[in-house]
Amino acid sequence: MNKTFHAAFVLAAGLAAAGAASAQSTGALLVRIGATQIKPDVRSGDLTAPSLPGTQADIKSDTQPTAGLTYMVTDNLSLDLPLALGFKHDIVGAGAIGGVGKIGEVKALPVTLLGQYRFFSASDRFRPYVGIGPTYAKFYKARSTATLTALTGGSPSNPTTIAVQSKLTYSVQVGLSVVLAPGWMLDAAVLKTPLSTRTTLSSGQTLDAKLDPLSMTIGVGYKF
Amino acid sequence: MAAALLAACGGGGGDTTPRQSVSAVKVFGDSLADVGTFGIKFTVQGSATRIYPERIALAYGLSAGCPFFKFTGVTFVANSVAGCTNFAIGGGVINGASSGLTAADPRIVGVQIATATAAGNFAAGDLLVIDGGGNDAAALVGAYLNAAKDGGASYVSLIGTLLTPAQVGAAVAGGQAGLATAGGQYMTALAGNFYTSIKGGALDKGAQRLLLINMPPVTDTPRFQMVLDSIAAASGGGATGSAARAQSETLFRGWVSAFNTELARRVAGDARVAVFDAAKSIDDVVATPSQYAVTNAKTPACPITGLGSDGLPTYDFATCTDTALSAKPPTGVTGANWWQSYYFSDGFHPSPYGHQLAYQGIAKVLAEAGWL
Repeated sequence: MNKTFHAAFVLAAGLAAAGAASAQSTGALLVRIGATQIKPDVRSGDLTAPSLPGTQADIKSDTQPTAGLTYMVTDNLSLDLPLALGFKHDIVGAGAIGGVGKIGEVKALPVTLLGQYRFFSASDRFRPYVGIGPTYAKFYKARSTATLTALTGGSPSNPTTIAVQSKLTYSVQVGLSVVLAPGWMLDAAVLKTPLSTRTTLSSGQTLDAKLDPLSMTIGVGYKF
Repeated sequence: MAAALLAACGGGGGDTTPRQSVSAVKVFGDSLADVGTFGIKFTVQGSATRIYPERIALAYGLSAGCPFFKFTGVTFVANSVAGCTNFAIGGGVINGASSGLTAADPRIVGVQIATATAAGNFAAGDLLVIDGGGNDAAALVGAYLNAAKDGGASYVSLIGTLLTPAQVGAAVAGGQAGLATAGGQYMTALAGNFYTSIKGGALDKGAQRLLLINMPPVTDTPRFQMVLDSIAAASGGGATGSAARAQSETLFRGWVSAFNTELARRVAGDARVAVFDAAKSIDDVVATPSQYAVTNAKTPACPITGLGSDGLPTYDFATCTDTALSAKPPTGVTGANWWQSYYFSDGFHPSPYGHQLAYQGIAKVLAEAGWL
C-alpha cells in the first residue's frame, strides 16, 4: 500500500467516524477561524452640485482574517455570529472622474447575527445551510485623499473630508459545512447584504450609492 | 469584539499628501495665470483670492507663487524678489508678431519659457503650467470684425504673420468666405507655433510634467457676448440679427476649436503632457451654471468704470476688491457674498470662483496623469 493511498484511507475513515460523532447536534458550540472577502457591488449616484456632472465613486473589495461562533439550537436550527476586526476599503473615482484613482478609504465593520437552517441530520458529513439575519454596517475612519480635496476645490489647509453613513440592514446567506475529522469541519459561506448609504463631504455635498456587498468566507471550525 | 468595535470608532480626516511631489510649479502664460506682474491679479482683488496656478502650487504644499516679471510702467524687468517661478504676464500671447511685439518681449509665452531655462534646464521635480491663446483669439476676432472699418487690412496683416503669402492671397481672393476660412488656418498654424515653442523650450529641456491649458472659448465671455449682440443689432435685429449673431459665433468657435484640435493632435501620446480642456470646462459652466453653483455666468462681478474706444465697457481690477463688491451688491442681488458665485470678474476674465472651478477641472487632469 503506497503512502498516498494510506493517508486517504485514514482520512476517509476519520470522516466516517466524525459523522458518527454527531458534530452539529443540539447544544453544540462551533468556533471557526478563516478569512472573508467583502466585495461591494456598487451602483453609485452622482455627487451633488457643485460638481462635474456624473461624478461617482466605486468601492474596492477587501479581505481580512475573520472568525465566527455557531450555536446549535436544535439539530437543524443554529445561531451564527461572524466576528471580524474590521475591513478597509479603497474608494476610487468613477463615472466622470473614472480615471482619477483613489479618492479615499473607509473602514467597515459589519455586525451580523444569522439564524440558520442546516439541512440533513446532525451526523451527516456534508451539511448545506441557509441563513438570514440583521446586519449593522458600521463605517468609520473615512479618510479622503489629496485628490478628492483638489477635485472639490479644497486645499491642504482646508482639506475636504468624508463621512460614510452607517446603516442597519439584513443579510441572507448560503453555506456548506464539511466534517473533516472528529470535531473539525470546513465551513464556506456567501452572504449578500442589501445596503444603500450616503457619503457626506465636508463641503456639504452628498453622494448616495447602493453598495450591496457580497461576502465570501471560508474557515476551519471546531466543535466544543 | 464589541470593545474592538468601539475602540475603532473615530474620525479619519484627510490625507493631504499628493501622489507625486513637486518641488517647483513654473507657470507661463497670460492674465489668467499672472499673479501680480502689474501689482494686481486679473480678477477680484482680495487676500483670499487664489487664481488657478496658485491653487495648484498650494496643493503640492508649496507657496502660492510670485511673479518673475515686474512691470515698471514702461517695460518688464525681473522681480527683485528671488525665487519667483510664475512667468505669466497679463496680455501674454503665443504669436507676438500679431500684436506688434518685438521678438524678445516677455509677453510672448515662448520667451517666458526661454527665460526660465536661461540658467539651466527644467528639473525632474518641476511641474510646468502653460496657458495661452486667449489673447491671440481675441486679436484675431477683433481684426476680423474691424474689417468693416479698415477693409480687412488689419485682419490680412494679422493672418499674414503665420500664413504663407499664397494662403493669404487665396483668402483675399475668396472674399468673406475665404477670409473666414483663413481664420481657421491661422489658428491651426498658431497651435503648431505654440507646440513648437513648448517642444523646443520645455520638453526638449528636461520638462517631465507639463500641464497645458488649451484655448478658452472667448465667445463665452461677457465681452464677446456683447460683441455678438452688436452684430445682431447691426444686422437689423430680429430673426436676421439672430442668424447673423449665430453665424459669427459659430465661425469664432470654429477657430478656437481648430486651435485646440491641432494642439491636442501635436501633444497626443506624450505622457509628459497633460491637457486641461479649458474650452469644454468653460462651455459647460456657461451652459449649466447651477451644476457648478454659479449664480451668474453672464454678468461681470466688477463694476463698469468706463467705455473703451471699441464701444465696450471697461473695468478696473485695482479698485474691484472683495470688500468693495461685498459692500455694494447690484440691484436685485442680496448678501455680501453675492460675487463669490459669479463666474466672470470683468468682461474677459474669470472671478475667483471661476478660477476655483478651473482648478477643480485641472485637478482631475493631474490626477488622471498620476501627478496629484
